[in-house]
Amino acid sequence: MKVAIEVTVNRKPCRVEVDTRTVLADMIRDQLRLTGTHVGCGTGSCGACTVMLNGRTVKSCCIVAADVNGQEIMTIEGLADDPHHLHPIQESFVANHGLQCGYCTPGMVLSALQLLNENPHPGEAEIRRGIAGNLCRCTGYQFIVKSIQAAAEQLAPKK
Amino acid sequence: MISQEYEFFTPKQLAEALAILQRLAGKARPLSGGMTLVPMMTLGVAQPEAIVSLNHIAELDFVVETPEVIRIGAMTRHRTLETNTLIRRHLPLLSEAASHIGDVQVRHRGTVGGSLAHSDPAADYPPIMLVAGARMKIASAAAERWVVARDFFKGLMETDLRPGELLIEVEVPKLAGRFGTAYQRLHRIEGNFPIVNAAAAIEQGFRTARFALGGVGDKAILVEIGQPLRNGLTEAALQAVSEAAHAAAKDAPSDLNGDGHYRRAMARVYAQRAVKLAAAAIPAN
Repeated sequence: MKVAIEVTVNRKPCRVEVDTRTVLADMIRDQLRLTGTHVGCGTGSCGACTVMLNGRTVKSCCIVAADVNGQEIMTIEGLADDPHHLHPIQESFVANHGLQCGYCTPGMVLSALQLLNENPHPGEAEIRRGIAGNLCRCTGYQFIVKSIQAAAEQLAPKK
Repeated sequence: MISQEYEFFTPKQLAEALAILQRLAGKARPLSGGMTLVPMMTLGVAQPEAIVSLNHIAELDFVVETPEVIRIGAMTRHRTLETNTLIRRHLPLLSEAASHIGDVQVRHRGTVGGSLAHSDPAADYPPIMLVAGARMKIASAAAERWVVARDFFKGLMETDLRPGELLIEVEVPKLAGRFGTAYQRLHRIEGNFPIVNAAAAIEQGFRTARFALGGVGDKAILVEIGQPLRNGLTEAALQAVSEAAHAAAKDAPSDLNGDGHYRRAMARVYAQRAVKLAAAAIPAN
């Protein structure tokens, strides 16, 4: 069954015809061609498909696309203001070797953004809890934690 | 992509959702956060003929207080239970439990009603609902009824809900004023279901005391321990708690996370820890 939905994606309104069996991650990748959102496990464990839905991180492989009619989505492509610049969190991941293969990175960066929005000065344990829903098989997490710590220092209002 | 075709409804009013569920009783599945149902559909394990999404029904998303209870709408997300100030003040063990569910992304989307209706035997909420004496409000197109938590959980992923019915609210007595409470869970990996979990609530003056265990049977188990604890937290009382936990966990299942003997042993440990922490948290008069 096909339905037409209207969503705001990276601050732009758009209308998409989706099969009701399509999950949000597939709609974002295959129909909107925003391939920064990755699909790892497809069952809500790995966090590679993390996007912001109405300003909160969710796993887009576990949401039916037809169920987000009228809502606001932000993908990794919407993080920086223009395509030629990186967001400070992205820059921090680059500077601190926070990625190797890059598969988990869009999800990691959005989880970091969620964390820093709510907690501008997270401790290491809080950072690890904040990215608990994002699996990385390359880095052993050390450099990801370091990247988020460095991003927090850069972004946070000074204490 | 989910392979099986289904009809998909997104009602904005509860009455509309209940009408669809009645019309398609036995065929339609309510969809709340979808943190379990959507992956099950992706894997082909669940193949409902129709889905009724509850995500657009604003009237099911609320946390309000009365003098005695906290009323929580079924579509309230775990993250709200974790952070809501009313729940943190009056039911700290419930926000503690919510904070352990899945990960941030899952807590943003998953709901209290979805988790309760799914009735996983090791879920975080059931032991708390049992020790708190919560009750569930169930609606159908024809009527509404209340069921106490003890009667709501029937078994492995089985509840008192009948075809065409929907869990719409849970009402949890405010414990913090008169009870010391605690929630403890055993897990090896952040965000995993607990292997064993335990909640405890002890009334001022040790007038009443109970704990509940999850992960050690086909549903959470409530144990009254007012009698052994009548003289407070003595060595003998703690030993009685341990024995009661071990007895309650007699049908503890075995799986990759631990065999039944291990779970029974951990039931002793976690029941004692929860009871000790609850006793330490009993409010002064």
